[in-house]
Amino acid sequence: MDLTPYIQDSAAEEFLARLREGKFQSTYCPKCEKMFYPPRIVCITCLNENLKWEDLPREGELLGFTWQEDAFRCGKPDVLGVVGLEGIGNVITRIDAPYENLSIGQKVVFDTWETPDGMVLHQFRPIE
Amino acid sequence: MPEVYITGVAMTELGKLEEDSHQLSVQACSAALRDAGLLPSQMEGVLSTPTGYMTEPRKFVSQKMADYLGIEGGLMGDVDCGGNSSALALKMAIDAISLGNIKSCLVFAAQREIPPAKLRENPVENIRLIKNANALYDTYQGAFGVIGVICFYAMAIQRYMHLYGVKAEDIANMAVVLRDHARRHPQAAYRHPLTVDEVLDSRVISPPIHKLESSMIMDGAAAVVLASRELVTDTAKAVRVAGLAEAHDATSFLPYQGELARFPSSERAAETALSQSGYTIAEVDVAEVYGAFAGTELMVYEELGFFPRGEAPAAVREGRTTHGGDVLINPSGGRLSLGHPTYATPLLETTEIVRQLRGEAGKRQRPEAEVGMVHTEHGMMNGSMVMLLDRRGEEAGD
Repeated sequence: MDLTPYIQDSAAEEFLARLREGKFQSTYCPKCEKMFYPPRIVCITCLNENLKWEDLPREGELLGFTWQEDAFRCGKPDVLGVVGLEGIGNVITRIDAPYENLSIGQKVVFDTWETPDGMVLHQFRPIE
Repeated sequence: MPEVYITGVAMTELGKLEEDSHQLSVQACSAALRDAGLLPSQMEGVLSTPTGYMTEPRKFVSQKMADYLGIEGGLMGDVDCGGNSSALALKMAIDAISLGNIKSCLVFAAQREIPPAKLRENPVENIRLIKNANALYDTYQGAFGVIGVICFYAMAIQRYMHLYGVKAEDIANMAVVLRDHARRHPQAAYRHPLTVDEVLDSRVISPPIHKLESSMIMDGAAAVVLASRELVTDTAKAVRVAGLAEAHDATSFLPYQGELARFPSSERAAETALSQSGYTIAEVDVAEVYGAFAGTELMVYEELGFFPRGEAPAAVREGRTTHGGDVLINPSGGRLSLGHPTYATPLLETTEIVRQLRGEAGKRQRPEAEVGMVHTEHGMMNGSMVMLLDRRGEEAGD
C-alpha cells in the first residue's frame, strides 16, 4: 500500500532529505535575515528566491500533546505534539515518550525517527 | 444599497441517509422555496458546495440544480472552503443582492458520505480517499499521518484547560447542555438524555477529547432563500441580514505561530459583524455557533465576546447560555447533538436562527428573540464568518 505523504514543493522534499541526514534545518533569507518554519521556496517578506538552509534550534518547549486514533504511518496510539522553538514558532512532531509521562512546559530535544514505511521524520523527547 | 432578507429556510432529516445528495438537496430547496412563498422561476441565483469528504464524486452541484429546477439568472457556482463553504455561498448571495446585481438567490448544501462498510468493500478507493484526507494538510502536518483535525483541536483544548484551569467536568458539561437543547428539537440526530459521567466514561478519541464531546459527521441537507425587499412575500417571516463579516488568519490547520488556544479569526469576524450591525454582543438574544467539539464550543463563546477569557465554563455551568439565561446559544443542540453534515452546517445554523427570530422554534423558542447571530468556520477555525440577523424585516416590508 503506497502511503507516500503529500510533498507540496521542493522545499518540503529538501527538508525531508536533510532529516534523513540527521539535519533539522529550514530556510533562511539572507536579505531579511529571517528564518522561516516551515521552509519556503521564496521569502514571504521580500520574495527573494535565493534562500539558504540553516539549523533550527534542537531544544524547545512542549506546548501540547495528544494521540491520534486513526493516523496512518505512525503507530497506534502514537503521541503527537507541538513544540515551541524560540524565535521560530510551533513545530508539529512525534513525541518519543509515553503520553502519561508528559506535561505542558516540559523541555524537549530533537531526534530523528524512522517510520515503519521507511520515512525519516522528526521526533522530540523530554530532557531528563 | 438594497437590504437583504432571508425569506425561506429548510432542512432535511439528519443521520446516515440512503438518498443521493441531489435528492436531499431538491427536498431542502423545494421546502425552502415553499417557506419563502417563491417559485424556482423567481430565483436569479443558485449557489452550493461539495457534497462531503469521503464521498462519491459530485461536481457542478449548483449547475445541476439550476437545470433541474429551471433557475436562470446571474449567479451560480459551487463554493469550497471546508466547513465554511455554505456560509461563504450565503455571503456571495448577500453581496450580489446588496449590490443590486440580482434580486434573489437559492443557497443549498448537502452532505452524503460513503458508509464505512461500503468503503471497506473497496480497499483501493478507501486508500485513495484516506490519502486525499491526509493531503488536506501540508507536508509538515500530513507527514505524521494526520487524517482528521481532531488531534490539533485536542491540543488547543488541552492548552485552554491548562491556561484557565478548566476541568474535564466543565468540558463534559458543555456536551450535556447541548444534548438538553437537542431534546427539544424534533429533527435533532441525538435526543436521548446525557450525563456528565456518561460523557467522561465515553472512549477517549484524542485526549482530552472524549467521543461524546465530538461532533459526528453525517448526512443531511439544508437550503436558504435570500431576497431583496421587493420579493418579500410575507413580512412576518422575513429576517434581515443586519451584519456580516468574514475574517481569516494566515494559517492552515494548526498555526505555526501564536497561541494554540486562540481562534483570532472568530474574534475579528464577530467584532466587525457586530460593528456593521450596530448591535453589541449583549444585545444578541440567540446564537448558533460552530463548535465541532465541546471544548472548542466553550472557546468560541469567548472569542465571540459572550464571556471573558476562561469564563465560559462557569457561565455554561450557571445556565447563562441555556433557556432562561443571558443568551441562548445553540438551541438546535449544536454540532454535537443536532448533527453535523459539515457542508450543510452553516445553513442549518441559519435555519435555526431564522426560526427563532420568527417565533417558530416550538419548545426550544427563546421568548421575544429579536437579534440572532450565526458563527461559522473552516479548517481549525483558520477562517470564520459571523452574521447578525434581526426582525427589522417586518417593518421594512410595510
